[in-house]
Amino acid sequence: MKKLITAGLLALMAGAASAEDVTLQLKWVTQAQFAGYYVAKDKGFYEEEGLNVTIKPGGPDIAPEQVIASGQADVITTWMPAALAARERGVPLVNIAQPFKNGGLEFTCLKETGVESPADFPGKTLGVWFFGNEYPFYAWMAKLGLKTDGSEGGVTVLKQAFNVDALLQKQAACISVMTYNEYGQVLDAGITPDQLVTFSYRDQGVTVLEDGLYVMEDKLADPAFAETMVKFVRASMKGWKYAEANPDEAAQIVIDNDESGAQSLEHQKYMMGEVAKLTAGGNGALDPADFDATVASLLAAVSPENPAITKAPEGKAWTHDITDKALAE
Amino acid sequence: MSLALILGLAFWLGAWATNALVARHPFGRTPAGRIFVPVLFGITLLVLWEALVRAFAVPTVILPAPSAIAGKFAESTGLLWADFVQTVLKGALSGFVIGTGAAFLAAVACDRVPFLRDGLLPVGNFVAALPIVGLAPILVMWFGFGWQSKAAVVVAMVFFPMLINVVAGLGSAERMQRDLMATWGASYWQALWKLRLPAAMPFVFNGLKIAASLALIGAIVAEYFGSPVVGMGFRISTAVGVLNIELVWAEIAVAALAGSAFYGLIALAEKAVTFWHPSQRT
Amino acid sequence: MKRALPVLTVLIGIVVIWYAAAVWMNSTWVYDQAERAGTTVSFAEMVPQTMDQDRPLLPPPHQVGAELWKGLFGQAVTSKRSLVYHGFVTFKGTMMGFGLGIVTGVLLAMAIVRFRVMDMSVMPWAIISQTVPIVALAPMILVVSNQLGIEGREVPKAIIAAYLSFFPVLVSMVKGLRAPDQMQLDLLKTYGAGEGETFLKLRLPASMPYFFASLKVAVAAALVGTIVGELPTGAVEGLGARMLLGSQYGEPLITWAALFASAILAGMLILVVGLTERMIAQKMGVRT
Repeated sequence: MKKLITAGLLALMAGAASAEDVTLQLKWVTQAQFAGYYVAKDKGFYEEEGLNVTIKPGGPDIAPEQVIASGQADVITTWMPAALAARERGVPLVNIAQPFKNGGLEFTCLKETGVESPADFPGKTLGVWFFGNEYPFYAWMAKLGLKTDGSEGGVTVLKQAFNVDALLQKQAACISVMTYNEYGQVLDAGITPDQLVTFSYRDQGVTVLEDGLYVMEDKLADPAFAETMVKFVRASMKGWKYAEANPDEAAQIVIDNDESGAQSLEHQKYMMGEVAKLTAGGNGALDPADFDATVASLLAAVSPENPAITKAPEGKAWTHDITDKALAE
Repeated sequence: MSLALILGLAFWLGAWATNALVARHPFGRTPAGRIFVPVLFGITLLVLWEALVRAFAVPTVILPAPSAIAGKFAESTGLLWADFVQTVLKGALSGFVIGTGAAFLAAVACDRVPFLRDGLLPVGNFVAALPIVGLAPILVMWFGFGWQSKAAVVVAMVFFPMLINVVAGLGSAERMQRDLMATWGASYWQALWKLRLPAAMPFVFNGLKIAASLALIGAIVAEYFGSPVVGMGFRISTAVGVLNIELVWAEIAVAALAGSAFYGLIALAEKAVTFWHPSQRT
Repeated sequence: MKRALPVLTVLIGIVVIWYAAAVWMNSTWVYDQAERAGTTVSFAEMVPQTMDQDRPLLPPPHQVGAELWKGLFGQAVTSKRSLVYHGFVTFKGTMMGFGLGIVTGVLLAMAIVRFRVMDMSVMPWAIISQTVPIVALAPMILVVSNQLGIEGREVPKAIIAAYLSFFPVLVSMVKGLRAPDQMQLDLLKTYGAGEGETFLKLRLPASMPYFFASLKVAVAAALVGTIVGELPTGAVEGLGARMLLGSQYGEPLITWAALFASAILAGMLILVVGLTERMIAQKMGVRT
C-alpha cells in the first residue's frame, strides 16, 4: 500500500514537473477575439497536452513584439504586418499558425458625410488606428493613389482612439472598425447599417493577415520547444473549434477571465459570433498565398513615414512544421 | 565583467571624486562651479546607462543606448520640431495661458466676494488633489481630436492648483500693511494693485511652476486618446507599436528639455519680479 | 453652518450648471437621431431624452450617481465588476508608491543635507526630474522593469507613483533638516553631541512639521501617479484602467464612475493623512 502511494506521488510529481510552461501574450485586452485560447485553458485542452499556459492580456501600450523580444512571452498573437516589421527591425518572428483565416478590419463611413465609394475620400477626415495597425490603411491609400499628409486632394488622417466616438461625434467621416467589435459598438449606439457605408480591406484588394501565432526563430530551432508549440497549437485550435461550436459558452468563459470587469456578456456574444466567421474558414495552417498577398500589399506602400517593411522578408517568416504535426491526427 | 562596464564604472568613480573635490574647493562656490557639478553628474548617468546597455547587450527594442537615441534625435529633428510645435506650443502653452489666466481672474473675484471664496476654496483644494488627468478621454470626446482638446485638458488640470495659490497669495499681505493702505484712503483696486498683488507674486509663481509641469503631462496624455498624426503624445504612443523605441526616447528627451526650459523661464521671471522676497536673496 | 453655506451654494451651483450642460450637450444626439429617423422633436420632448442615454456626451449627475452606487454596492466587493475592488487595487499601488516616495525623499534629503556634493549634483536633477512628463516615461519604466525580471505591474506602477511623490517630501525634508539655527547647533556642540546625536535629537525633531506638511501633497501625487500608471500602460485592474476601458468600450458611464470613485479615494487618503498628522503632532507635544 505504502509503495503504491509512493508510486502515485512520484507519478504526480513527475506529471507536475513535466508540465511545460507556456506564456502567451495577447495583442489586445481579454475579449472574444481570443476566445479560442481562453476556451482551451478553461476547458482543460492545454492541460490534456501537458501544458501549463499563462495568458497575458494586452492593451493600448503593449506591443507583443516587444514583450516576446524581452523574453517575457513564449508565443504571441499579432497581425502579420506588425510581425514582419518587427522581423525587419531585428526581432525574428516566425508565424507558426494562423487561426484567423480572414481579417475583421473594415472601414466604415457615415453616409450623411457624402462618402459612397473610395472616390469620395479626397478632402475627408479618416480615422485610423496606429500602434502597428496602420499598415493596411496606408497600403490601401497607396493603392488608391491618395496622399495622406493632409495636402490638397489627399485625405486628413486622424489617430482615432480605440473606440467609435470619432464617427458618432462626426469628427471623422470614416473610421476603422473591427467587424467583431467596434462595428457592433456603432450599431449599439443607434446607427443602423443602412446609414453606413462599409469597406472591407480584402474587397478593396488589400490583403492583410490578422491574428496569427508567432514565436522567436532561435527558440523554434530547439526541438523541445518546437514539440511544445505543436501541443500548444493543437490545443489552441481545439479551443477555437469548440468556441465556434459553442459561442455562448465561449463568451461566458471570456467574461470569467476578464480582470477589468468592464466587458459585457452581450457584447462578447456578438463578438464571438463575428470572430467565428473569421476562424471558420481555416484549420490554423497558414495559406502561403495569403502570406504572399500580405507582403505584396505592404510593399505597395513603402514610404519613409510608415515603414512597415522596405523589402521582402528574409529567411523563413513562416513555417508549416508546427501545424503539419499539430493537425496530423 | 566586460570592458564597457569597467570603463563605465571607472568613469563614475572618477566623476564622483572630481565632484566631491569641486564641492569642497572654492571653485564650487562660483556660478560656474554650481553648473559644473550637476552637469558632470548628468553625464555620469548617461555614461553608466551606455555602459550597462553595452555590457549586457540589451536589445534596442527594450532599452536603446544614449548614443543610439542621440543619433535618432539628430536625424529626425524636423519630425521632433513638428511634434514640439503641435504639443507644446499649441496644446500645452495655450491651455496654460487660458487656465492660469482664468484662475487668476477667478481668484481676484474670490478676493472681492468673500462668500465666493469661502465656497470655492474648499472645493478647489479638494479638486486640486484629484487625478484630473482621468478627464482626458472625456475632453477629447468633447473638443475633437485637434490641439483644442489638449488645451482643454491642460486648462482643467492647471485651473485649481493655480486658483488656490493665487487666493492664498492675495491673503498674504500683512494686517499692518493693509491697515496702512486703508489709512491712506486707498480704494480696493488701489490696494490690490499696489500692495496685495505684489505681495502675492511668490505664490503666483509657485502656482505657475506647478501648472507648467502639469501642462506638459496633460497635453501629452490627451494625445493618447486621439490626435492628428503629429504630436509628442501621438509619437510616444504609436512608435512603441512599430518598435521604434529610439524615437520614443528622443521624444522623451524633447519633453524633458521643453519641461526644464518652461520651468527655467518661469523661475527667471520670478527672480526678476520678486527680487525683494527673502527666498530670492542670496 | 456658517462655513458650510458658501460651500453648499457652490456645490449646488455646480450641479445646476452640470444639468444644464448635460441637456445642451446631449441634445445634439437626440436631434441627430430624430433627423435620421425623419421626425422632429420639440424642446420639451428633447429634455427627458438627454437624461438617460446609454452613451451620453455628459451624463447628468443622477446617472453618474446611479452607476457609482451600482459599482460600489451593487455586488460583492471581491467581484471584478466592483469599484471597491478596483479602488483597492489603486489604493495598494498608491500606498506602495507613497511609501517608496517617502523613503526615497527622506534618504535623499538626509544625504543632501549631510554632503555638499550631493546637494550640488543631485538637487538640480531632482527638480528637472519633475519637469519630465511622467506619462512619457511610464511605458518605458514598465518595459525596463519587466526586462529586469519584475513580473506584473505592481512594482512599475509604484515606481511611477513614487517618481511623483518623492519630490514634495524631499523639498520639505531638506528645508526641515536645515531648520535648526546656528545657536541651537552650537548649543548641541557645547553639550559634546556628535553628528549622529545632533541629527537624532535636533535636526530630525525639527523637521517633523515640514515632513507632515509634505505628506498630504505627496499622497495626492502618489494617487495621480498610480492612475497615470494604470491609464496608458494597458493595465487591466484599478480605477485608471476603468477610466481607459470605459472610453474603449464606448461606455462613458464606466469612465465617469471611475473618476468619482477616484475622487472619493483621494478624499479618504487626504483625510487619513491629515488625522495621522494631528495625532502624531499631539503625541509629540505640538500645541495647535
